[in-house]
Amino acid sequence: MKVMVCLKQVPHQDARLDVAADGSWIQEDNIKFEINSYDTYALEEALRAKDAGEAEVVVVSIGPDRVTQALRTALGMGADRAVHVKDPEADASDSLGKAKILAAIAKQEEPDVIYCGLMADDGNFSAIPPMLAELAGMPSATGVISSEASDTSITVRRELEGGCREVVELPRPCLLAIQTGANQVRYASLKGIMQAKKKPVDVKTAADLGVGEQVGAGAAKVKINKIYIPPKSDQAELLEGSTDEIVTQLVGKIRELGVL
Amino acid sequence: MGNILIVAEITNTGAIREASYELVSIARKLADASGRDIKSVVIGSGVGDLAAEFASKGGGDTLMADDAALSDYNVDGFSRAISAAREAADADLVLISNTPAGWDVAPRVAAGLDAAYISDCFNIELEDGNLVFYRRVFNGKLDAQLSAEGVVVVTVQPGATEAYEGSSDGGTSALAVGLDGLRTKFVAVEQAEATGVDLSKADVIVAGGRGLGSPEKFEEVMKPLAEVLGGAMGASRPVVDAGWLEHAYQVGSSGQVVSPKLYIAAGISGAIQHLVGMKASNFIVAINKDPDAPIFEVADVGVVGDLFEILPPLTAALTEAKG
Ligand SMILES: Cc1cc2nc3c(=O)[nH]c(=O)nc-3n(C[C@H](O)[C@H](O)[C@H](O)COP(=O)(O)OP(=O)(O)OC[C@H]3O[C@@H](n4cnc5c(N)ncnc54)[C@H](O)[C@@H]3O)c2cc1C
Ligand SMILES: Nc1ncnc2c1ncn2[C@@H]1O[C@H](COP(=O)(O)O)[C@@H](O)[C@H]1O
Repeated sequence: MKVMVCLKQVPHQDARLDVAADGSWIQEDNIKFEINSYDTYALEEALRAKDAGEAEVVVVSIGPDRVTQALRTALGMGADRAVHVKDPEADASDSLGKAKILAAIAKQEEPDVIYCGLMADDGNFSAIPPMLAELAGMPSATGVISSEASDTSITVRRELEGGCREVVELPRPCLLAIQTGANQVRYASLKGIMQAKKKPVDVKTAADLGVGEQVGAGAAKVKINKIYIPPKSDQAELLEGSTDEIVTQLVGKIRELGVL
Repeated sequence: MGNILIVAEITNTGAIREASYELVSIARKLADASGRDIKSVVIGSGVGDLAAEFASKGGGDTLMADDAALSDYNVDGFSRAISAAREAADADLVLISNTPAGWDVAPRVAAGLDAAYISDCFNIELEDGNLVFYRRVFNGKLDAQLSAEGVVVVTVQPGATEAYEGSSDGGTSALAVGLDGLRTKFVAVEQAEATGVDLSKADVIVAGGRGLGSPEKFEEVMKPLAEVLGGAMGASRPVVDAGWLEHAYQVGSSGQVVSPKLYIAAGISGAIQHLVGMKASNFIVAINKDPDAPIFEVADVGVVGDLFEILPPLTAALTEAKG
């Protein structure tokens, strides 16, 4: 069996976000990056499939040089191989363009299951996984919090609202977009990190994958015109002063509510 | 230019979802301004009455994708129904609510049409004759304005707009959808497990987020504050994902929806999925070291600062005030 994991490297959750000079994305210099939180759970699902039987785990990421670090981390956790699409035009693609690139890789790799995250913590699009599944001709399920495999199919629980879940059965090959909390993510062991250095990372461009013409900024149908700090509502009264003064004001407010 | 297609959603109790009428509000605004017509589709089994209702309450001419195979949500079947409806309606703007079904099916529809997809918009406007889309990025820390070319499939954040309350004189018609060879199979919907924790009854909820940093800190800082206020503890999703607290304590779209007299949010940024679970609270106090954290948008009182410096003395002062 072969499984493919799509992962994105995103700004660290505690990174300071400043809008870049051209206004269309954040300033990426001098901030730390990490594997998208949803994707760590997706990778863990894939590694569990490997632990449960024979599976080769291929991790795939589209992104600049820095993405090597994310792929090495995934290899250190137990993935077998990596494909790094390193190509400024691939980076400049919209969700559909990136899905086309990942679909081209899926066509070459022919995985039994593709694991993605439900959403990337940067753009919050939740777009690529179902798009990729559609382009790769696979059924898909998003927001997956558990899965159970049989010989030919996978039964998953999708998280709905308010703690409800939907149980869905999908034949393989299929794509699952994993929700956070689906499992407990392992750490890379020291041994794993050492071994990762010898594992192959294949570097490719969109052109290598035969989709050079279909992707890139020119082909993008969705354009981010600008990003900005949301306009402030004036609802919140911000308390100021020393800690003591703030605490006194808070006690006063809480007393007024009659909950003490 | 094409028309606007609204995809109405049926709840599991068999009614049109409120969010579908929010789509109508957006569609009405854009239709009037851009000269587009509004058409709708209702997908399910035995949907005649619901389709007629939607057609008369703003949905306009409404297509019915009516088939036993569509009685429960199924990504393959629903994506085919939406694609067929888009074609029949000659739509270049497809509006879907960003619900678990919506975000599951919408990107597939877009990819099948080789079309643009924009998710979770809180607003869509017509500016200089072009559609522009507004949505949050970075889990609410920043906003983005986007534009799209050609046909565009959009999901809209539930609750972002008022539901349409006017009427329309649309008719209904059957839509043929090929439903052979569906791969995904609906098995069941499981209801939320009942637990001992019912946050909806608490007068005070003291909720902590990822900013707490560890389960020990949660115990050390949040628990005594909850105790002195006679309240319950609550949490954002990462706290539950990491196993610091059980799922029963999670507040938000995939946890509990609460409206206590007092909600204290500490180390919670205020992502929309959290806000929908607590913004109806009577009085909200937010403590966050990031002055731009979106939690301050719903708070009544905010403290920009380190929760570890504020909460322990607050707990002490409240203990004293109680006497
Ligand atoms: C389908 C779906 C469903 C979801 N359902 C839910 C849900 O039900 N509930 C939910 O909560 N989330 C839900 N989420 C996740 C949501 O998008 C956010 O990721 C989550 O709410 C973020 O939690 P947080 O605010 O604790 O963490 P973060 O966003 O990481 O925020 C941590 C905050 O702590 C602050 N901080 C750090 N240290 C300190 C300190 N010492 N003092 C003061 N402040 C500090 C930081 O400034 C930051 O603002 C859902 C997501 C999806 C896609
Ligand atoms: N650049 C990328 N490279 C590989 N996979 C990606 C990339 N961007 C997004 N994905 C996958 O698609 C999921 C959803 O991302 P998005 O649609 O951008 O919210 C992520 O969790 C990843 O699994």
